[in-house]
Amino acid sequence: MLESRAPQVTVEGFEGPLDLLLELIEEQRLDVLTVRLGDLADAYLARVRALPELPAEEVAAFLVLASRLVLIKARSILPQPTAAELESADADEGELRQRLLEYQAVRERAAALRARLDEGRRAFHREGGTPVELPPRGGDAGALSAAWQKVLALARTAREQEMVAPGERYSVEERALEIEELLRVRSSVSFSTLLVERPTLRFAIVTFLAILDLFRRGAIDLQQEALFDDITVIRRPVSQPNG
Amino acid sequence: MDELRAAIEAVLFVAEKPVSVGELSRATGARPRDVEVALQALEEARASSGLRLQRDGDAWRLVTAPETARAVTAYLGADRLRISQAALETLSVIAYRQPATRADVEAIRGVNCDQTVETLLARRLIEEVGRAERPGRPILYGTTWEFLECFGLSSIEELPRVLSPEGERLDEAPREFAEPIE
Repeated sequence: MLESRAPQVTVEGFEGPLDLLLELIEEQRLDVLTVRLGDLADAYLARVRALPELPAEEVAAFLVLASRLVLIKARSILPQPTAAELESADADEGELRQRLLEYQAVRERAAALRARLDEGRRAFHREGGTPVELPPRGGDAGALSAAWQKVLALARTAREQEMVAPGERYSVEERALEIEELLRVRSSVSFSTLLVERPTLRFAIVTFLAILDLFRRGAIDLQQEALFDDITVIRRPVSQPNG
Repeated sequence: MDELRAAIEAVLFVAEKPVSVGELSRATGARPRDVEVALQALEEARASSGLRLQRDGDAWRLVTAPETARAVTAYLGADRLRISQAALETLSVIAYRQPATRADVEAIRGVNCDQTVETLLARRLIEEVGRAERPGRPILYGTTWEFLECFGLSSIEELPRVLSPEGERLDEAPREFAEPIE
């Protein structure tokens, strides 16, 4: 199996015995339909003899055809062949001629395909198709613009603060206490409201960590209707003995 | 009918792979026969645009028009297909006679074609399409969507007819192998 996959040897540009024979016919400007194939035996043999050394398999293929040509030639020059011999010779030559015609058609089709390839007139399909992860559908342009406004506001404040105060310090504990304080008066508060006071990045982070901590301790409930919605911080009812 | 045509076009546009008439019928709620009529209309309407319909058997898809290949190739940075004469001959036997076995190719070319068949398979220009019902059940090969694409053909029926006098004579010859299989 491995051997049969060995690289195919192209003999001086010939794709095999039929190709070589066809080449001879075309060189001599003969017609495949009318040429006496036996007459080509000598020329073909001369070419085969001139072939460089080849794997045995390859040589065999060339020799099989050579022997057929010689046979056809021999029959045609036999003195007074019998009718049966004549018929058999004709059949043999006819079969080979047919194969040559078939092969000639294939070569021309290959040339037509090559021409198409060289023209480069090919088509392309759309690559990739749908991405594996679809972004959420039904995006709200209004929400996007509101978010952008917030970012801008945040950026502006941050810059102002940089100029005014050199660094603030908040602790998560302090902030958690503040939120708990606030929730004693109100039953719930939104995350964005908690940020109104000082809309800086650091303040937002501390506030966020504070509500996470409060939630962990079971002091509050958190609610978010949809992805990227405002978070509502809700006071937990004062814990009941069995609640 | 225009509505159906537009719907089919839209489905083909988003499709990741060729879409069968049955799938188009299910997607649009139209009868398969109407889908086929609409596909014909779509094919005609697309003739002067940058996109074309491509068909293989019952399945359809949208591809770029061969005339636009230069621009698309430049954009994609795609390489032109390089293919040896031996592989091209093997490919032409399979393309025009499909489905064909290795033995069919070898009978015509007169040389072993294992390696060229492997090359064509690796480049996805041909694929297995079944087994022949004869001793040994040899593998049958046919051409692929990639083949149609590489040669800018809208379907296998569009294979170039050979125009030289010898070729024409052969194409007219009443021999089964000289005719592309429908």
